[in-house]
Amino acid sequence: MNRATVLWSRIRAFFSREQLDAEFADEIESHLQLLTEEHVRRGLSPDEARRAARLTFGGSMQFVEDHREQRGLPFVDTTMQDLRYAARTFRKNPGYAAVVALTLAVGVGAVTSMFTVVRAVLLRPLPFAQPGRLVEITETNPLKNWTHTVAAPANFLDWRARNDVFADMAGYVGVDDRGASVLKRFVEVNGEPALLTGIAVTGNLFDLLGVRPLIGRTFTWQETFDDTNVLVLAYGTWQSFFGGDPNIIGRTIRLSGRTKRVVGVMPRDFFFPNRTAQFWAPIGMPSAELEKARRPHYLSVIARLKDDVTVAQARDRMTRIASDLERMYPGTNTQMGVRIEPLHQIMAAGARPTILMLFGAVIVLFVIVCANIASLQLGRGSSRTREIAVRRALGAGRSRLVRQLLTEALVLSIAGTAVGVALASMTPALLLRAAPSALPLFATPQLDSAVLFFSVALALIAPVLFALIPALSSSRIERLADRSDSGSRETTRSRDVLVACEVALAVVLVVGSTLLIRSLIELQRVDPGFRPDHVVTFKATVPGLKYPKDADMTRAFSRIEEQLRAQPGVVAVGAASTIALRGYSFTSDATPEGRSGDDYEREARFNSVTPDYFKALGVPLLAGGWLTERDTGNAAPILVNASLAKKYYGTTDVVGKTLKPGKPSDPDPWQPIAGVVADVKQDGLDKPTRPEIYMLYATSVQNPATFVIRSTVATDAIVSDARAVVRSIDREILVTDVTTADAIVRESTGDERFRTTLLTGFAGVALFLAALGIYGVLAYVVAQRNRELGIRLALGAQPRTLFRMVVTQGMRPVAIGGAVGVIAAVLSTRLIESLLFDITPLDPMTYVAAVSVLAISAAIACALPARRATRVDPLVALRQE
Amino acid sequence: MGESKSEVLQGTLDMMVLQTLEAMGPLHGYGIARRIEQVSEDALQLNQGTIYAALLRLQQRKWISATWGTSDNNRKAKFYAITKAGRKQLASETENWQRIAGVIGRLMRLSQ
Repeated sequence: MNRATVLWSRIRAFFSREQLDAEFADEIESHLQLLTEEHVRRGLSPDEARRAARLTFGGSMQFVEDHREQRGLPFVDTTMQDLRYAARTFRKNPGYAAVVALTLAVGVGAVTSMFTVVRAVLLRPLPFAQPGRLVEITETNPLKNWTHTVAAPANFLDWRARNDVFADMAGYVGVDDRGASVLKRFVEVNGEPALLTGIAVTGNLFDLLGVRPLIGRTFTWQETFDDTNVLVLAYGTWQSFFGGDPNIIGRTIRLSGRTKRVVGVMPRDFFFPNRTAQFWAPIGMPSAELEKARRPHYLSVIARLKDDVTVAQARDRMTRIASDLERMYPGTNTQMGVRIEPLHQIMAAGARPTILMLFGAVIVLFVIVCANIASLQLGRGSSRTREIAVRRALGAGRSRLVRQLLTEALVLSIAGTAVGVALASMTPALLLRAAPSALPLFATPQLDSAVLFFSVALALIAPVLFALIPALSSSRIERLADRSDSGSRETTRSRDVLVACEVALAVVLVVGSTLLIRSLIELQRVDPGFRPDHVVTFKATVPGLKYPKDADMTRAFSRIEEQLRAQPGVVAVGAASTIALRGYSFTSDATPEGRSGDDYEREARFNSVTPDYFKALGVPLLAGGWLTERDTGNAAPILVNASLAKKYYGTTDVVGKTLKPGKPSDPDPWQPIAGVVADVKQDGLDKPTRPEIYMLYATSVQNPATFVIRSTVATDAIVSDARAVVRSIDREILVTDVTTADAIVRESTGDERFRTTLLTGFAGVALFLAALGIYGVLAYVVAQRNRELGIRLALGAQPRTLFRMVVTQGMRPVAIGGAVGVIAAVLSTRLIESLLFDITPLDPMTYVAAVSVLAISAAIACALPARRATRVDPLVALRQE
Repeated sequence: MGESKSEVLQGTLDMMVLQTLEAMGPLHGYGIARRIEQVSEDALQLNQGTIYAALLRLQQRKWISATWGTSDNNRKAKFYAITKAGRKQLASETENWQRIAGVIGRLMRLSQ
């Protein structure tokens, strides 16, 4: 209470200190006059009386100062004083202040940007109730090379019924490899057809996530199996497609020809599994059907752990359930295991290594930035020797000086951080535009309070990193004479250490980025198995209700193909159910002729194609012949890819052999292999090609179909022709995923290019800063030794000798830093091994390249000041002091 | 604000100022200083300036209040007066002081 009263009084006094100072002066003056009068009464002359009064009062101004200190807030006073002083220093030397602040802005901007991403992807909890208790459950199977594959519905139902470790378990259907929803539906909005994408879910999903709808209701478990045609909308969908209609609940809408009733709208922040889902519908399949569906696998499964159950316990329990199922259903569940991972972790898993690497890289960059500024400060400290020596002489304490220098640094740091944060605030928009696929779909980077808190922390840490050592060293200056060589030699030594650190850290970044560049080059050199130039592709989805029979669908697709072929400039047109590099395809058992028992292919990819698909995409035929329109029927000929042929026959010369689309014991017909096509990359350029079987579209219709058009005319023209063609056939056929094959190849290396570009950028900045550091020290040394160099030249020293002398001095910290950097790189690049393709982290060429880049940059940084050393005019140098 | 040895003297001065104001009514700094010197029969010579540190401390704790007024010989001066809180403090300090003085007195007698 008492202390608070005193503090309050101090605060009030602080804000009226000018008035209080004046009043206090008055009060003392009046006291002195009273004293003087008293002394006069005792018989002193006025002058003597005045002096006596001063003596009695107690003299010096020291006590006015004490009074002021006790009255107000001395800490704030001193800080204000330091700030004013700092402002004056910066005004006197604005260039220096700007360089420091801007360098720091680059560092802070980079770190804050990356932290924004780290926060969005790895740190911010998922917006569900107790997100830490949510897990994802997938299936594993060594026989099929499955490490985390979506579940079969029947397995899911058994898991849910048999386990006692989860509060509940839910599933959903309709996402691709990246988690984007692929359930595309047509909706009529004001007579115009529009596209909606959503996912199909089990009815308990929302309750499991623990999120209530904004309005209306969500689904019930029973609705999973009913054909009730109910729908829950995302907030954005409700707003943009239905104008935020307050009576939306109960409203019926036509979705791809079916009537659906909206029962709920989710809150604005809600997303699941990510923001691409615009609506949710129940799976709507009879339970009798789902209970039998032990293949194919298409259900993503999440679950909520019971309160007292750990992930390990859940794994244990579920593994036992899986082996029970394996015993019960040997036909489908042989070696089928389960994998359980925390939901957030698995959602972020793909992006995690890249993000952590880049975050590590920016922190290294930040340290380099601070080392660079520290070196600058040291250099400047010695040019401020005079000022500091004078202030020491006038009684400034060392701690007071350090404090003042740190305040100065803090001001620069705050200014730099402000600019840096402003730069970083552009990150979310920039990321969205430059590299939309670089982040997992669930993550939305934004500059939230946690990010700001982080950058404030940076602003406070930075001065300690870049100003403490310089401040301590310059506050040691005692005498003006310290401007001597010994002082500056010590400064130079400290700066050399800093330069060596910068070089070492820069080497680590340069090696890292060179590794990524080399592996990106290797990756782009991989043959995708087709010629991507001049190829446009799009996906066509026909409304199932309108084309109930396979033949109807085949007819629609054929008409599209025929009419596209008739367009000007078109060279070839084909269609497939799955095209290259788009992953996600239908896989099943296949038995090549001559195999029996357990020796068969469990993960053959089945792709339905039209005869011209290969011609349109530019896939070479390795053996045999193409399929023709007539290759339909029960034992229709098929094509296989080279991987399948080589895996089972060790050669591509397999034309005439037969293959059964099932297990050896299945009754399926044996189908002759008509030809072998080259391996087309399926999941990515860096992934091995899996055995693939091509059959004629007409024998196995899939909806949607992806059309491939090779043409000699511009992409835009082909795209608009294609849209017109499809529209003319049936305006309810959806055209989506319009792109070029070139773009597909490019996008397949999007992540790699994103991280390579960024890391190379960071490495470039690091290298530049290190070079700047080298240059700064040498330029300073040359300036300091101007006189000596002048004398040497005058006495006949060869400019070449002087040049070599300066360069040698400059290269010493570079050599030491470089060596340390290489060791650090050897130790640290192992961390990014998972990001490399076809190259080891110890790739010698990389190290040679990185060290050469460093050596060249350092040599340039040394050569500039060295050249200046050889051009010193002896006369001017001698006259200088 | 830790307790140190010099605080004892400070505290003593604070108490003397409070006691003076209690006894004499509102006074200016000079008056207080003179009064303390007179009462101590000039045995206690203080730098009169130090009075102001004591006055500031007491003001900050709201034990005394200050107003500008005119002194006997028509000079502008700041007058200090003891407040209610100040009286309470003075009472407790006095009691405390007497207790300690008593203890010290007894101790001194014992050791004689």
